[in-house]
Amino acid sequence: MTTKCRLIFAGLALLLSSLVANVQAAEWQGLIQLGAQHSTGDTSFIDSGTGLLRYSEDDNPLQLYQAVLNVRQDIGSAWSVDITANGYTDGDQKLGLTQAQLEYKPLMAGPVKWRGRAGFFYPRMSLENVDVGWLSPYTYTNSYINSWIGEELRIPGLELTLYRPGRAVRSPWSWELHVGAYRGNDPLGTVISWRGFGLHDRQTLNNDRLNFAPYPSVTSYYGLWHPAWVEPFHEIDGRTGFYVGAHLAYFNQSELRYYYYDNNANPNAVNDQRLYAWDTRFHSLAWQHDFSNGTRLIGQWMSGSTLMGQRYVYADFDSVYIMLTQRFGDGRLSVRWERVEVDEDDVRPDDPNDSDGHAWTLAWRQDISEHWQWGVEWQHNTSRAANRPMLDVSSQQDSNAARLTVQYRIGAQ
Amino acid sequence: MMWRVLSSIFGVLALPAAAATLSVQVLDNQGVPLPQAVVYATPLDTPRPDTPAAPAVMDQIDKQFVPHILVVQRGSEVAFPNSDSIKHHVYSFSPAKTFELRLYSGTDAAPVAFDQHGTVEMGCNIHDWMLGYVKVVDTPYFAKADRQGSVTLDIPAGRYQVNLWHPRIQDNEETLVRTLDVTDSSQWTHTLSEDLLRDLSGYEKTTETFNDY
Repeated sequence: MTTKCRLIFAGLALLLSSLVANVQAAEWQGLIQLGAQHSTGDTSFIDSGTGLLRYSEDDNPLQLYQAVLNVRQDIGSAWSVDITANGYTDGDQKLGLTQAQLEYKPLMAGPVKWRGRAGFFYPRMSLENVDVGWLSPYTYTNSYINSWIGEELRIPGLELTLYRPGRAVRSPWSWELHVGAYRGNDPLGTVISWRGFGLHDRQTLNNDRLNFAPYPSVTSYYGLWHPAWVEPFHEIDGRTGFYVGAHLAYFNQSELRYYYYDNNANPNAVNDQRLYAWDTRFHSLAWQHDFSNGTRLIGQWMSGSTLMGQRYVYADFDSVYIMLTQRFGDGRLSVRWERVEVDEDDVRPDDPNDSDGHAWTLAWRQDISEHWQWGVEWQHNTSRAANRPMLDVSSQQDSNAARLTVQYRIGAQ
Repeated sequence: MMWRVLSSIFGVLALPAAAATLSVQVLDNQGVPLPQAVVYATPLDTPRPDTPAAPAVMDQIDKQFVPHILVVQRGSEVAFPNSDSIKHHVYSFSPAKTFELRLYSGTDAAPVAFDQHGTVEMGCNIHDWMLGYVKVVDTPYFAKADRQGSVTLDIPAGRYQVNLWHPRIQDNEETLVRTLDVTDSSQWTHTLSEDLLRDLSGYEKTTETFNDY
């Protein structure tokens, strides 16, 4: 993590602690998910394998999946601080922050208003990850797209939003326009070029290291001489990245979100850890629609490219998912289909980056009380990655995962 | 009830007026009843009765104002409880009452006094789709129309200025007022001339818990 990021976190922490005596109470939310799981297929990337799932076949069936705590503190009428901390038993960093932001949303009388936020956060591209701590309330395992956003994409920066809520101007249509500027997301694109898109629910913490398999073409001194991991939130080239986004909603029934994200990296910049700045840009289009019978449809499409070095790695990537979710009393049934493709077009045939796959995810989650929920999820995915044979693993892999989850929640949904 | 209060106040000074019934129906320009239309009758010849002591209630339930339209007599207090498990930040920029209230879950906010007649439009700075109205009128004789667009007011006989109001009505305000001599049983059926503004009750039809983040 860069010094600037550390300063932002220290500043936010100081601000929060100085407000403990504030008359308005802080709002706390959080949840813990734990249970039993079984995964098949190749060893997980977390254990430096080529597998795309969070757990390996020989991992302990009993797991703590999530431990999330979110606190939100108002400062006067317009300002608030929002911090999310996560704990994991797997991965490199066990305890840390996934988001920390200072938000400004003044009361404004006119039809068009503005707001802003600064800190370390996700752009609001996803319609899947809408629960506390950027978790999904639908399935436990995120889609290919949002697994990747959760592990490699975060904005240490500033976002400004112009928005017009429709109801106050007697329109069924509401819109928002977002523009963000940031530093420190330079290695974005690393894992999808080498490991491929994963399927999991482990978000990368603020100072975390994301492992993948030690592909010889990547780690060899005669290859690309890159570690078999990435720390995704480093600033490497000193350049500012940006994104723009637009939301359009019809009542609260249907919403479309488009984003164009470009980290504006210099692909030849490399730091002393041998991490590169990857010039990564993509379009993301997400749609959610509630049908009158209570069924909700959520979909997202992403298409982009990433470039590292003097075209040592260049890959186009595309992914799409479609999810249907329906409440039945206290329960919710969700089914998601998705596919992904990474196509390389670079000067290093010794470092193949092609990968593709598709997956089905089926989840049932049922509230037992205000605090307790249980659920089961089954997932099947088929994937191909051209670089796996380097590690004596078949390029084609099928894997399945099943999990039973008990969740305890504090605070509001 | 109102009549009993009135009787006790003015009974020694004058003979009580006879009870009367005012029935009003509001139809749109297609002849379709307009539910929730507000009808209020302001007495022209007798002093206006005092403001009720008990505060009215504008609740927040499932990220909506409930009721969507609350009618109160000028000088009334309105309590703003929060029945949701999340925070709301209620505000109004309306000239009739400008205020701001942060409603934390499980915490009672002090009631707000509405001292000027007029229309107060409220929003929530957290949930931008929330919208509610407090209609402040200068009389205790008011009601909201039922599904047939009908209102029945049991009031003392006498002369009244009767007004109609609804946030979707676009008609010139002067056409929505009648001076009526209300006797035993008076009726007024009003058909609007302009189109209604668009129905936005779609904002209240969300069945899903999870929206945005």
